[in-house]
Amino acid sequence: MSETASPSSRENLLDVSGVTVTFGGIVALDGLSFAIKPGQICGLIGPNGAGKTTMFNVVSRIYQPSSGSVVFDGKDLLSVPAHEIAHLGIARTFQNLALFPTMSLLENVMVGAHSQGKIGFVRSILRIGAARENRELRDWSGDLLTQLGLGPLMFRPAMGLPFGTLKRLEIARALAARPRFLLMDEPAAGLTHAEVDELGDTVVSIREQFDLTVLLVEHHMSMVMKISDHVVAMEFGRKISEGTPSFVQNDPKVVQAYLGVDA
Amino acid sequence: MVKVNQGSPQHWALRTLGVALIALVVVWVPTQMSTSRIGQFSDAFVLIIAAMSLNLVLGFTGQISIGHSAFFGIGGYTAAILIKDHGWSPGYTFYAAAVIAFVVGCLIALPALRIKGIYLALVTLAVAVLFPTLVKWKKLAWLTDGAKGIDSVRYDEIPVWPILGELKGRDGRAVFAYWLAFVLLVITYLVCRGLVKSRFGRSLVAIRDNETAAAVMGVNLTVTKVLVFGASAALCALAGVLSTLRTGVITPEGQYVTLLGSIVFLLIMVVGGAGTLWGPIVGGLVYVWLDNTTRGFGSESDGVIGFLFGWSDQSPATLILGLALVIIMFAAPYGLVGLIKRLWAKVVIVVPKPAGTSLPTTGH
Repeated sequence: MSETASPSSRENLLDVSGVTVTFGGIVALDGLSFAIKPGQICGLIGPNGAGKTTMFNVVSRIYQPSSGSVVFDGKDLLSVPAHEIAHLGIARTFQNLALFPTMSLLENVMVGAHSQGKIGFVRSILRIGAARENRELRDWSGDLLTQLGLGPLMFRPAMGLPFGTLKRLEIARALAARPRFLLMDEPAAGLTHAEVDELGDTVVSIREQFDLTVLLVEHHMSMVMKISDHVVAMEFGRKISEGTPSFVQNDPKVVQAYLGVDA
Repeated sequence: MVKVNQGSPQHWALRTLGVALIALVVVWVPTQMSTSRIGQFSDAFVLIIAAMSLNLVLGFTGQISIGHSAFFGIGGYTAAILIKDHGWSPGYTFYAAAVIAFVVGCLIALPALRIKGIYLALVTLAVAVLFPTLVKWKKLAWLTDGAKGIDSVRYDEIPVWPILGELKGRDGRAVFAYWLAFVLLVITYLVCRGLVKSRFGRSLVAIRDNETAAAVMGVNLTVTKVLVFGASAALCALAGVLSTLRTGVITPEGQYVTLLGSIVFLLIMVVGGAGTLWGPIVGGLVYVWLDNTTRGFGSESDGVIGFLFGWSDQSPATLILGLALVIIMFAAPYGLVGLIKRLWAKVVIVVPKPAGTSLPTTGH
């Protein structure tokens, strides 16, 4: 994958620059900067505790950085409240699953489509347009579930289903918001080997189908290297390498971070 | 076991049958039963409305409130003050009470934006404890009449409703109170149903299940919590107005105005089934029935009750009521509605319409 593969003249979709996050005295992110171009799958890698999930939570507005800026499509993300993120076209999946356990799979995905609806408090009481919107969101969500192979389970509650199934439900729920930018937090964690391969194919195919830009945080190196256009490697809250998968993979600093080889 | 497709003629037939049975009971009560029985049903309807309002906040949204007795009291006092001091016609006080309680409910939601669980329970508990004290406060006596409360709050004449015709006397008042309570119960149910079965309602359950995820999906936590508290308070105030109009009296220590009221609403919601639309209805009817039945048990009763409780000077009513509720919760941990649904699923299963446009779903 070279820079010429994607039109480099286009602006970056996401621009992270100099982001610092501290928890008490611990520096989780230390002046991190990177950028993602539209249509790219960007892999964010690094050993445990490198700050990948923290970066993630900054972009989805769960953490507020103490300095730095995050610009999405020309908009300053750090001035946008958390619930507005979905409306801007950013969706995410969670590392340790953050589903709605008492709801059915279908309802989970329908909540994912929250930003696509507009029936609020007053109109739901007066039932103006609520039934119609319910039908539309229901069909849209049902289609997504079917596409991700969860169709037959759509009326089952999320509680108690296998981990791999729920991981796919996370993806369906994120897609329901019709995002432009999808953040995936370790989607392969806890999956079997076969499931990981399937997941890689799924990510590539939804990128095509939904015209997505993807930020992928992942431990599973072979999958990241296979599907990413661009890879950012982190250690101790800093960027240590950035570039094409093959470049990052062979960067001595990355090898050292992972294997702890003493120079 | 029969499988019925959702929206099929069989499904509609079943639903129509259900509605017809309910309608039969609803008409049977005021036409065939004694005045005291009618009163018990009206009392149940009042409690059901209050429990439904609590259910919105606690059952669906997962925000613990033990302060709903205050909203009930706000409703009751608004009606009493407007009718006695300002000469309002009782019917209009429902609107006033709902608006005032909505505003107060929104304000009380503000702590819920910051704190959760047991801490929120404590804050709302404080509201429940504060309300009667506030009403008794000397400096508010010009408004609330202090500890003695306000009495003779009622319709001067029983309004004439088209279908009911002219109602007269004490019995007529009971019948009118019954129908008034029933109409408000239906309105409350429809409001709750509309809220719950919409995008707004799904966001409520999402907040209950996982607040962080709900926010990421685009749910505005602040606005949603404030609105649901406001709506809940407004509905609970309707129950308060209804109760005051029915009994004609409201006092700071009155029924359901104190902390005890909050506990009763909570009990009815949990016994019936929290987070279900029908839970408060089933719970309210069962609670009022149990309460009235056990109240009749004296320590001199014959049979089993006399044998078990004859040694005591105290009436065993409360103890038996408590035991019965414990047994119900043991047999139906998800409430009576949960139990009924489980049993009903052995007879009829309603197969939901598959969702989606393009591809057919498999698995049936």
